[in-house]
Amino acid sequence: MKFLIAFLALIAPASAVLGNQVALDSQVFVERSAEQADGSVTVTLEEPTRVVPGDNLLFVLTYQNTGAEAAENFVVTNPMPEAVVFGEAIDSGAVYSVDGGTVFGPLAELRIAEESGVERPAHAADVTHIRWTLTEPIPAGESGQLKFRGIVR
Amino acid sequence: MSLRRRTHLHSVALRAPLLLAALSPASLASQAQAAGTLAGTPIENTATASYDDGGTTITVDSNTVSLIVDEILDIAVTSADPGDVPVRPGELDSVLKFTVTNGGNGPEPVLLTIDPNIASDDFDPAAVTIFIDTDDNGVYDVGTDTLYTLATPPTLDPDASITVFLLGDIPATTADGERSEVELTGTAATGSGTPGTVFAGQGEGGGDAVVGSTGATANDSGFYAVVDATLDLTKSATVLDPFGGATQVPGSVITYRLTAETTGSGSIDNVVITDAIPGATTYVDESITLDSTGLTDTADADAGTFDGSGIAVTLGTVAGGTTNIIEFQVVID
Repeated sequence: MKFLIAFLALIAPASAVLGNQVALDSQVFVERSAEQADGSVTVTLEEPTRVVPGDNLLFVLTYQNTGAEAAENFVVTNPMPEAVVFGEAIDSGAVYSVDGGTVFGPLAELRIAEESGVERPAHAADVTHIRWTLTEPIPAGESGQLKFRGIVR
Repeated sequence: MSLRRRTHLHSVALRAPLLLAALSPASLASQAQAAGTLAGTPIENTATASYDDGGTTITVDSNTVSLIVDEILDIAVTSADPGDVPVRPGELDSVLKFTVTNGGNGPEPVLLTIDPNIASDDFDPAAVTIFIDTDDNGVYDVGTDTLYTLATPPTLDPDASITVFLLGDIPATTADGERSEVELTGTAATGSGTPGTVFAGQGEGGGDAVVGSTGATANDSGFYAVVDATLDLTKSATVLDPFGGATQVPGSVITYRLTAETTGSGSIDNVVITDAIPGATTYVDESITLDSTGLTDTADADAGTFDGSGIAVTLGTVAGGTTNIIEFQVVID
């Protein structure tokens, strides 16, 4: 139900002026590992309101084209919350920014200028934004998800 | 809410990023502290999408997911002494030093308790009190550092450490080489227990407090080691008569030998060896020797004196393991 409410809230103002609508929903889950009696580890996803440093978070972005026409050049950008260090992108094709969203590229190609002026390769911990760009239009009625992980600092 | 399982149909590939006017400027992520994000910090996540609608670029924001960072309770206690603290029997207010650290992510009062009565050691100090290093100079300062009481536990900021002193009196009955273990325990005032234990609503900023990996309590031990020394004094005499023999006749010279043997791991201060001249004898002037070195009778730079009735040799501070031999001579009247 939460998704629907959010979805409607986003759609309502846009539908008045736009021919097609793409809704974007953000969810954050915490992955909690629990060792079972037989020694196996099960990972459960919870939708928390509270977390602690070190918690593994799963970010799920869900988009849905509810309009009558395809949406082209679809780009999703998620700034990393300040208290979360980027972990990994689950869906391929992500590009990253380590400078607050100015320059995007594959993480291996990004560099960080230290205060001393020396440049070093960027790490996952430097990521400030993650972005996906879909190469194909989203047909009317279609939806999809983009997921990445982070850790509470 | 379950995750949507539908696989999106669209292939995702790299491509030149579009310019997005709607991107809010995001501050660069700040460096994390060792203790992690401060308790009460909000985590808000909002994604932005843009797409083209017949030549018009449209941007939409997602909903915002808001999370709050709970307080982690973690305490560390470590002895800050380089080793055993040397003490003497009867010494008062002997100081043990500890470091107490708040490893959590919120300010936390730390309750301190001591156990001076560890069973496996040689003795227990008396009247042990806890002082907080108020001026943070690492040294116990009488009158400056404050006495710890349960009513006013020190509150430590995240990642902050304080120095804590334990002051104990060493029983006079202790002997050289005896050790005493004293344990200091620090515990988060909010609570402690199995890691993961939740104290609902008791965290900084109104959130929960969660026991961290340390169990929110920690202890460590400091050690007193008694360093003492004892002095054994033995006296012997040899007689040389005027005829080259050893008979005790008028004119015979008696050489007294005082052997001062200091044993133990400590030292003894202000050691003065005195011996009275026996009756019916006369002191031989300037006959005092210390370890075969002659000493003058007058009170001067050297250690020996003769005051008319007896000799005195000032040894001062003598360390354990030292043997001093003092000799002087008298003539039988």
